[in-house]
Amino acid sequence: MRFVLRRLGFFVVTLWAAITLNFLIPRLMPGNAALSMMSRYKGHINPNAMHALEVAFGIKTHESLVHAYFTYIGNIARLHFGISLTFFPDTVTHQVLQALPWTLALVGTTTILAFILGTLIGLVAAWRRGGVLDGVLPPIFVITSAFPYFWLALLAIWLFSIKLGWFAESGGYDVTTTVAWSWAFVSDAFRHSVLPAVTILVTSIGGWILTMRNNTITVLAEDYVRMARAKGLSPWRIMWHYAGRNAILPNLTGFAMSLGFVVSGAILVEFVFNYPGVGWMFLQSVENQDYALMQALFLMITVAVLIAILAADGATAILDPRTRDRS
Amino acid sequence: MKRLMTLALVVCLAATASACGGSKSSKSGGKTAVTISNEQGTTWSCGFNPFNSDVNFLSFGTVYEELTFVNGLKSGQTTDWLASSYAWSNSNKTLTVTIRPGVKWSDGKPLTAGDVLFTFNLLKKNEGLDLNAAWSVLKDVTRNGNKITFDFKGSAVPYFYYIAAQTPIVPEHIWSTIKNPVTYKDTHPVGTGPFKMASCSPQVIKYTKNAGYWQKGKPTIETVYYPAFTSNDPANQQLASGKAQWGSQFIPNIKSYYVSKSADNHYWFPPTVNVSIFINLQDPILKDVAVRKAMAYAIDRKKVSEIGEYGYEPPANQTGIVTPTFSSWLDPSLAKQYTYNPQKAIQTLQAAGYKKKGNLFYTPEGKPLSFRILNIGGYSDWVASVQVIQKQLAAVGIKITPENLSSTTYDADNYNGKFQLSYNGNESGGPAPYYELRQVLYSKNSAPIGKPAATNWERYENPATDRLIEQYASTADPATQHGIVRKLEQVMVNEVPVIPVTEGVDWYQYNTRDLKGWVTPDNPYAQPAAYVNPDWGVVLLNLKPKSAS
Repeated sequence: MRFVLRRLGFFVVTLWAAITLNFLIPRLMPGNAALSMMSRYKGHINPNAMHALEVAFGIKTHESLVHAYFTYIGNIARLHFGISLTFFPDTVTHQVLQALPWTLALVGTTTILAFILGTLIGLVAAWRRGGVLDGVLPPIFVITSAFPYFWLALLAIWLFSIKLGWFAESGGYDVTTTVAWSWAFVSDAFRHSVLPAVTILVTSIGGWILTMRNNTITVLAEDYVRMARAKGLSPWRIMWHYAGRNAILPNLTGFAMSLGFVVSGAILVEFVFNYPGVGWMFLQSVENQDYALMQALFLMITVAVLIAILAADGATAILDPRTRDRS
Repeated sequence: MKRLMTLALVVCLAATASACGGSKSSKSGGKTAVTISNEQGTTWSCGFNPFNSDVNFLSFGTVYEELTFVNGLKSGQTTDWLASSYAWSNSNKTLTVTIRPGVKWSDGKPLTAGDVLFTFNLLKKNEGLDLNAAWSVLKDVTRNGNKITFDFKGSAVPYFYYIAAQTPIVPEHIWSTIKNPVTYKDTHPVGTGPFKMASCSPQVIKYTKNAGYWQKGKPTIETVYYPAFTSNDPANQQLASGKAQWGSQFIPNIKSYYVSKSADNHYWFPPTVNVSIFINLQDPILKDVAVRKAMAYAIDRKKVSEIGEYGYEPPANQTGIVTPTFSSWLDPSLAKQYTYNPQKAIQTLQAAGYKKKGNLFYTPEGKPLSFRILNIGGYSDWVASVQVIQKQLAAVGIKITPENLSSTTYDADNYNGKFQLSYNGNESGGPAPYYELRQVLYSKNSAPIGKPAATNWERYENPATDRLIEQYASTADPATQHGIVRKLEQVMVNEVPVIPVTEGVDWYQYNTRDLKGWVTPDNPYAQPAAYVNPDWGVVLLNLKPKSAS
């Protein structure tokens, strides 16, 4: 019980600190939204328009920071994130909800896949150390993980979409397709997601393999594994219940963290593939000094990561009794 | 965004090596469609409020229309649009327009002078909508039958452009019911234009032909697809593969990347505005005109254009007149001044008392001629250009150090005058050279250091120049206007408040496989970049399927 309370307390304090930083950091940036908009406007605008823009965006340069802070806290408590300046006059909530499914589907799926595949490969490679699998897969994926992501992605676009024409090169779906829950749309969206998904997978799987493999090798040298062998347990049971269960702990924490970061999207992926997700929106909000959008996204990421860490703590506690021993 | 990002270069290298397949047909179901590829760095918000600076390029020109079309490539030649005629009176303080009969909103209701009156009063009531600051010069707008009379506070000839050509007219019967027009999204815009917005998602907007359009038999294009591109490479790829027919962005190495892919691929980059070195005139050293003149002599603009801009953006001249677009305004004798002459630069500095020690010139007080120059780190063509300039200035003994900033920091520093030199330019001037010269030279566009200046970032202030600028506003006579602009060119040459280096262009690529009627150098009927409004509506209106006669 004390363990749970301590963890929850930690969660609340971190959340408050994150929310406060989230408020302060954007305001330390130079410039304001009207300036950003002026420069985006191709100069096709009368010079005096700056005033019109400031009025339209409701930029209040005179509001005190303390007052703004409490308004901000109040709005967050009511889940009221305000109007986005980038997508003016649309609400932040609407815009984020539009982009989030794309990111969750793409980055979420690939993160889970990378974790499962990486852990399995790592475990089996360590179990059959020196075997064919161990000799081939870990080195390959460690090397691909070291590739700069955008380079690999551009290469994939060039080869598979421009040269061979197998997959679409950009976007979430073809522009002439109508968005609906129809087979045509879903298959089109799937076709567009293959290249980004595969490139993410190939560049992120190596880390999981390496940690899992190394952990398993360490665990395999432990006395309790030798004990299990001596007892005559089946290799399968030893691999899963003795080696795997212990070796996965560090990976699990890492996995929880990366699950939390799924909602931050993948800026490079979305940039290279012109994919309509949250990561790119994030970049955009920073460029346009869109405090409302920026804060909502930061908050979403912070909360997701904190919850993920909380969940990882829980999972670790279940898998490893030593961590809850203190009471 | 039109500029070259580092990433764009990489994909170009990858893609030039490939032979892209044949282009897909632009026809879908027997009807003619156009796909626009214009990277805006944003997904669509699906708002179409024509007074919202963020989205008005998506509705103004196609859905909403203006009173008079003004062609920026023909020195402001006018075409009557929703107004069938206009006239100036009362020593150019009163503008009267007659509203065209027989025009219908896309919901079937007729357009009346009441709609025009309503639109301008809407701008008056809601400051946040008045993007062109029309009411800073307007005194009153009144209706008399099918005529609308604009009364100005003073002579206002150049403001015709903002009032008649840059203000979209909206329907009173819809907009009068909106509580807050500033935050109104306008998801289903009703306008008089040639197209209707048919559907919108964050990724693509689909426009369809307005069958009841007032210009009989037009448009012939049935569908327009406008996909959202957040980065340059996919947008360029769509153009190269022929999936998109109309492009409006920077393509590195355009000949091998785009033109070589098909005999139907063409491009034209008409220059419209200068990219200049803005010089902070309140800097203790730079306020000496000799230093500025020396810099103007020391820069080889042709080299900058070739190396920094792939030759897409031609070299500028010190008069500030963009050529060949506005050549008729140019004083040829002035244009030849400040041709590249490093020897003259050195002589100018020596004559003004500057001494060279080692590789650098020093002021008589012993301060080195060493300056920081602001630039946008994300515009790799501008970064390359400044590197060329840096070398050329170093050759005569002036040191400049580039600071490549993020665009927000850069803008803030420019507007607030926190710089010594800045590589900068408005992305659009206006339909005649006057507009850009006014932006740069008029003291009312300036502000004290630390306060944001609208466009006069170098802080040039001279009452005599102000008088010239105001005098232009009071005359509609082309000869007088040309005379005044020549005097302004003289100011640019004598005082060197900014140094124009290259000429910013409209980015424009087009495919003639299935479509004709594109803007060409021989027929520049509108500015051809898809991001210029309302011009893009005029371009779409003129496109025809090739099979049609």
